[in-house]
Amino acid sequence: MALIKWVRTFAVMLPVVLVAFSARGADTVKLGLIEPFSGPIAAVGRDTLEIFEFFANEVNQRGGVLGGRHIEIVPLDNAMNAEKTTQQLRKVIDDDIRFVSQGVGSNHALNIIKFLQRHNRRNPDQAILYLNHSAVTTSFTNELCSFWHFRFDANVDMKVAALVTQLGRDPSVQKLYMLNQNYAYGQAFQVAAQQMLAERAPGIELVGDELIVPFGKVLDFTPYIAKIKAAGADTVLTGNWGPDLVRFVKAASEANLDASFYTIYAGIPSSVAGIGAKDGIATRLKQVTEMHENDPLYDQQPAELLDTYDRWRQQTGKSIYSERMRWTIEFFAAALNKAGSDDPALVAAAMEGMTMEGPAGPLVMRGADHQIIFPMVISTMAEDLERPYIYEGDNYEVAFATDGWIMSDAIELPTTCEMKRP
Amino acid sequence: MESFIFAMFNGVLYGMLLFLLASGLTLIFSMMGVLNFAHASFFMLGAYFAYQISEGLNFWAALIVAPVIVGLVGAGIERWGLRPVHRYGHVAELLFTFGVAYVIEELVQMIWGRVPVPYEIPDVMAGALFTWQGFDYSIYRVFMLVVSVAIFVALFALLTYTRIGLIIRAAVSDPIHVATLGHDIPRIFMWTFGFGCALAGVAGVVGGNVLGTEPAMAIQLGPIVFVVIVIGGLGSLGGALVAALLIGIVTRLAIFYDYGVGSLILALGLEIDTAGMLRDFTRITTAQVAPVLPYLMLVLMLIFKPRGLFGTRDV
Amino acid sequence: MNMLVGRLGPWIGGAIVLIALPYVFSSGFALTLMSQIGLLIVFALAYNMLLGQGGMLSFGHAVYFGLAGYFTIHYLNFIYEEEVPYIPVTLIPLLGGLVGLFFGILIGYVSTRRAGTTFAMISLGFGEMVTALTLVLVAIFNGEDGIQTDRVIGEELFGVTYGPNIEVYYLIAGWCLLCTLAMFLLTRTPFGRISNAVRDNAERVEFIGYSSQRIRWLAFSLSSFFAGIAGALHAVNIEHVGFEQVSVLQSGLVLFMVYIGGTGSFVGPIIGATLLYFLQSTLTGVTEAWVLYLGVMFVAVIMFFPGGLAGLITMHQPIWRVHSRLLAPLLIPYARFFAALVASVLGCIGLIEMLYFRSSRLSTETELIIFGIESDPFSAVPWVVFTGIAVAGGFAVRKTLPSAVSAWNTAIADARALPRG
Repeated sequence: MALIKWVRTFAVMLPVVLVAFSARGADTVKLGLIEPFSGPIAAVGRDTLEIFEFFANEVNQRGGVLGGRHIEIVPLDNAMNAEKTTQQLRKVIDDDIRFVSQGVGSNHALNIIKFLQRHNRRNPDQAILYLNHSAVTTSFTNELCSFWHFRFDANVDMKVAALVTQLGRDPSVQKLYMLNQNYAYGQAFQVAAQQMLAERAPGIELVGDELIVPFGKVLDFTPYIAKIKAAGADTVLTGNWGPDLVRFVKAASEANLDASFYTIYAGIPSSVAGIGAKDGIATRLKQVTEMHENDPLYDQQPAELLDTYDRWRQQTGKSIYSERMRWTIEFFAAALNKAGSDDPALVAAAMEGMTMEGPAGPLVMRGADHQIIFPMVISTMAEDLERPYIYEGDNYEVAFATDGWIMSDAIELPTTCEMKRP
Repeated sequence: MESFIFAMFNGVLYGMLLFLLASGLTLIFSMMGVLNFAHASFFMLGAYFAYQISEGLNFWAALIVAPVIVGLVGAGIERWGLRPVHRYGHVAELLFTFGVAYVIEELVQMIWGRVPVPYEIPDVMAGALFTWQGFDYSIYRVFMLVVSVAIFVALFALLTYTRIGLIIRAAVSDPIHVATLGHDIPRIFMWTFGFGCALAGVAGVVGGNVLGTEPAMAIQLGPIVFVVIVIGGLGSLGGALVAALLIGIVTRLAIFYDYGVGSLILALGLEIDTAGMLRDFTRITTAQVAPVLPYLMLVLMLIFKPRGLFGTRDV
Repeated sequence: MNMLVGRLGPWIGGAIVLIALPYVFSSGFALTLMSQIGLLIVFALAYNMLLGQGGMLSFGHAVYFGLAGYFTIHYLNFIYEEEVPYIPVTLIPLLGGLVGLFFGILIGYVSTRRAGTTFAMISLGFGEMVTALTLVLVAIFNGEDGIQTDRVIGEELFGVTYGPNIEVYYLIAGWCLLCTLAMFLLTRTPFGRISNAVRDNAERVEFIGYSSQRIRWLAFSLSSFFAGIAGALHAVNIEHVGFEQVSVLQSGLVLFMVYIGGTGSFVGPIIGATLLYFLQSTLTGVTEAWVLYLGVMFVAVIMFFPGGLAGLITMHQPIWRVHSRLLAPLLIPYARFFAALVASVLGCIGLIEMLYFRSSRLSTETELIIFGIESDPFSAVPWVVFTGIAVAGGFAVRKTLPSAVSAWNTAIADARALPRG
């Protein structure tokens, strides 16, 4: 019986689906999301898509933008490949999508910035605006800054500034060892940290400064751990992410290295899963983020927002770990409304200098370079917290507990941007 | 001197893990002439099966059961996949395993998801066994060493002193004559392939919790395993052991004695170029490029001694 | 006269198709897609000079493709800064080709001394080393970010600026045709023939007085030259180059293209590059399982028709050469077999899609639509239906295959029996 029903549904549905495809999205504001949705790191892209769709839906439920129009997220797969990113941008132009977002992989971000600079200059009537939610290369808001690019994440220098400020506050930090991935990002981390350590934590002795071949090429970190031990370091500062972080931390824990690990990316789901509770706690693993669920300030946020978070956890079975993506959507919606138009140039102008309330202080989209400025929090992996980390329904039984907030004045860095406005 | 011995010792530890990984591959090659590109994928399967089994039962059960399952999977792939391809030659076989590596990686993602699974070292072996130069060696690390050595000894004994080993060695040098003696060569091939994959599975069980069990681990490990068996000389078990130890020790030494191109230039009394296009060359140190050194060794080896250290025939 | 038309016909036809395509598919997406396919055809054909014609399996041929791309981007940027002599963008691919040739000669000298598996392993080693260097040497390669350029550097002939994509398309189409012709003619030269001979039996080639190593080296260098042209075209088209262009993944992709297309015939890589890149660009947005399908497709080609797709076509060449009506009896058995195959494949796709949906569905995705049908992977019905289709299809494939094979056997026997013409 069910079979017959199914076959009948097929006959009825086919034309409906075909029509639905062609008629979809007549009066929406489209935001193209260019991320890897296939290939080895598709999980990151798909998580991003889920967050974007969820929070865009929240905006739509509240009444949408521009007097009732909905925000529609259009996923565009770049398979983590530069040529695919360009290809998807051409598709964005074809489909008359005027806003794009991206964040996974700063090489793609750079590609989009450069592409839009050329495109928007050649076709001012079809300008496209880029909302960068996670690509952290500092130069995007310095010498490479563009009117058509807005960043909703702290750049590398700001994150390092937050970490180093916290290092300076911690009296137990005497001897520091740095280890970074030897490519553009890791080198930028290294240079920024060297400079800021001298300025902000002159009492700390840098006993080691290492670069490694990036992207999972180092299988065994024990020799590095031995060097760290030999140098007598009590603290490790690293920008590593992915397997380079997971193996590093696991090797340190296995060798009972008695040192705290200051990192940027310890809290992304794949790293928490890969490192595991035991090794993360043994290495006193720390991260710097815009917010986390077990911060004392969490419960002081507006009630509607807490409701939204609860709904998110219930619906997705995942913790909240990247508030910046929600901010991207909220800023986008607010700028559309403020501009009263979906013209990208007007939306961009409206977004400059825009502020919103954050958990520990205002979020400010600096007009001079389109870099968001906000307080950041350093937290350490710990057990028995109120909201343990969940991902796809699995409870990891650990989460992060706050060490301290770094306020905006300590993070805000001068910019060298010379913005050219159309 | 002490730090030199220390580096050597670390190199041996790492080298033995590499050997464990490579032993199955070199066995398969010596028997069948097939370079199994998917070998690291079987290693990955071993780690994932071990994770799944140790969730349900415990690590020791995983150590026995997971390699058996991996071996059966391998034998199945040989029987229904590789055997039909055999008649198209070795390049087709290599390509077949290359494709299988892709498929296994995707299937693993489909079943276990795209994020790492929490496969941990068993608690009883997590503690430190001894401390040297302030560095704690866990029981598990020594356990890995013991497993690797045991596998080497067992394989060596198997090939040298048993009837099966005799047949295998005979089949390597002259498969046609062995077949005419009434041995079922395709069957021997199937079980050799399965056994080689099971060895990769053992490596996965004991290495997966140290290296991290995730879908990309096969891609990251695959090439280095090739380097080991090519440098050692294809088909030579002893060569694989020596090459694995060599790679382990060289990369360790490169990290401990961190010399750079820059210091060489200074020693020659030249000036360092700090601004030009080539400035990064002068900044490179041996520690930074340590993981790439095996590939350099591979290329040099193949250029100057294409049979590898102990190989008896060309690659 | 007839023979001349027969020989030139495909080329003139190809040129007309290349010129006409943008009038049919004019969107920016389609233009980029066709441009990419054009340059990948050059790359795939270059790769097949190694694999198909020279018998050298390389896991690192993207090195020459990518390095030429890096060089091209740097050169364009230097032109912009007026540090190097101006070269029109139209001729830049030639420069890229020379870069490819340079590295091909250099690395080829050491890597082509052996063939077979040794060669494959050396190519893998070089591929890994160059990829690692692109990340470490930031001043030249700029790490993960890669380097960008603006291809509009000045006035070209006839007021072309290469700003609009259509102009780049025609640039690539022109070079694609030129390179294809050049590589085709190469296969007809004594060098092309002796390269085949080295592939089949290097020892005998040595006996007749050639150095098989020299031949391989020459083939490798020429192949790198054309790979370099493709890399430069890629750089001009995308205006970006990064480490993924030199990586082993890119080398693997071109290997897939060439092998699935067919290594045994000249058109194989063209078919492979076109089909695979088209599928990849259109399917990645539709299904998560694309890489799995690609892997399975590759394995299936190796197992069941090692001649590739082109091999399937050339299988029928002797038949229609004799008379095209001999193909008529093939139609029905083939259609039956094909229908069965499609059914089983569709069934399997349905099952795989539902598995993926169950394992990695996003909470915001509430429905799964397979072939336009909403299928609920959490109820039994679609599982039963798709399994049924897959199994029935599989049985039908086994049942219809013998008749398809015997139809072909009959046709080929008939063709042999009849005189040509």
